[in-house]
Amino acid sequence: MSRLLSADFAKLKKNKFFWICMIGMFLFGVFMAVMDYISTRQYGDYEAQITNILFIYALTVAILIPAFVSLFVGTEYSDGTIRNKMIIGHTRTCIYLSNIIVCSAAGLGFCISYIIGVLVIALPFYTIDPVILQGTVILVLCSFVMSIAFTALCVMTALLCQNKALTSVINILAACFLLVISLYIMSRLREPEVYSGYTLSPETGEIEMSEDEPNPDYLRGTERELYQFFNDFLPTGQAVNISGQGELSQSPGLLAAYSASIIIVSTGVGMFVFKKKDIK
Amino acid sequence: MDYILTARSLGKRYKNFKALNDFFIHVPKGAIYGFVGKNGAGKTTFIRLVCGLQEPSAGSYAIYGTENNDPGIARCRRRMGAVVETPSIYQDMTAEDNLKEQYRIIGLPSFDSIPELLRLVGLENTGKKKAKHFSLGMKQRLGIAIALAGNPDFLILDEPVNGLDPQGIIEVRELILKLNREKGITFLISSHILDELSRLATHYGFIDSGHMIKEMSAAELDAACRKCIRVQVSDVRALSRVLDEMNLEYSILSDTMADIFAKINISQLALALADQGCDIISLDEREESLESYYVNLIGGGNRNE
Repeated sequence: MSRLLSADFAKLKKNKFFWICMIGMFLFGVFMAVMDYISTRQYGDYEAQITNILFIYALTVAILIPAFVSLFVGTEYSDGTIRNKMIIGHTRTCIYLSNIIVCSAAGLGFCISYIIGVLVIALPFYTIDPVILQGTVILVLCSFVMSIAFTALCVMTALLCQNKALTSVINILAACFLLVISLYIMSRLREPEVYSGYTLSPETGEIEMSEDEPNPDYLRGTERELYQFFNDFLPTGQAVNISGQGELSQSPGLLAAYSASIIIVSTGVGMFVFKKKDIK
Repeated sequence: MDYILTARSLGKRYKNFKALNDFFIHVPKGAIYGFVGKNGAGKTTFIRLVCGLQEPSAGSYAIYGTENNDPGIARCRRRMGAVVETPSIYQDMTAEDNLKEQYRIIGLPSFDSIPELLRLVGLENTGKKKAKHFSLGMKQRLGIAIALAGNPDFLILDEPVNGLDPQGIIEVRELILKLNREKGITFLISSHILDELSRLATHYGFIDSGHMIKEMSAAELDAACRKCIRVQVSDVRALSRVLDEMNLEYSILSDTMADIFAKINISQLALALADQGCDIISLDEREESLESYYVNLIGGGNRNE
């Protein structure tokens, strides 16, 4: 296992796409911090808060990780190099775990790269509220577990499908599809319970308050619980939540628990099928 | 005889298709084993099984005497190398980086032997050129170098000269012979380019429709393919009597045809046959090639089914 990890990390170090993503995420972090600072200075009557922009990477990695994993792991099949590992006697379990560990490290690298990019600009200019510091750190840690869950799902697809192009299409499309679903779930959960009633008086021409109207689209009961579950459970749901500073998630601990369950189940299922798979 | 690789009643099924059926093989230590069969005969399927890329549906195989269901098979595989179909190389890496990667996979502590390995396969001057820019022959040789990285004593090469130009074929052939003679590496080479194989192999295995038709040594094959004179006569019984009297080795092919495995005096034979009232209709010298032997063998195999 250590030999595989050493080989896979060395391969990661030489991977161009990995370094492009790392630099891209760093620059993205810098860009977001600069743009947010400029806009708060220009229009804002509020103090620049680092949390406004700190978690945006959660959404970005939801697309970046599937693309990276598909290319990184898919190369093992397209170049046929996975055979070198098997012929020399490495077990499929070790090959699977090594890929997960290396890709997870890459995914975490993307997240950290963005955070460093933000902090480089933000630390001198932004105020960091000590009250929310602990919550911020917990949410960052949640995002790390979420990124590993994403990686575990993508590695499963990449190792079970021997076609690199097909793997890329499946992983990226699935990520986009789940992201759209998660955004929809989020918007449904955000529906207000009641609409504030306003009427325009034709005589005076003034807006007058009237009774609140109940919102027919507001989710209630089991339906709301179901939406809330998917909002917390899906990695894309977590990404949307974390990028919005966890506003609609139940608790960071629950998010981490769901992510951990995704990691364990997908790795277990993936390894089981991978062990039985005929490699060409 | 010591065998590096053996298989017993090996089977591999893909849904309803039997790629290997009741297959056997015996690869002797130190041999260059030519694994001959047409496309789709099951050569690559067998190699994939031996390399652990796929699991057999039936039967078993043993590498260095260790059965495939024995956990110790992984350790035995460390003593073998293989190039299955296309060379397994990272296209975006140089030859040296590819070998470094393989050294890490194997767990070799030092990269010191890489220049020597590159020299051995003739890739010492590739520098920073990436593998994707290599010619097919160079890729093939890099694939062999990767397979050689762990100092194996058994190497499996699947169609090693496929798609190579004549120069590339000669280079790969010389490399195989050099490794076999100087390092004592046993080879299992699958191919359907019989002429090329006949320049290398010390043993042969003929596979058809997932079944081993025949295994034989090169000496046995030479004997089977030896020169003969095919003679067509009006009376094969008269020919038989004459040849017996002359104490010559022969085989009767039909009522009018026979092969004579000896140098003969044609005038003497014609006179002797004339005495028996037998006419010679035609007479030609024949030497069966590996190709025609294989075609006859496979044809015979099909007739038996």
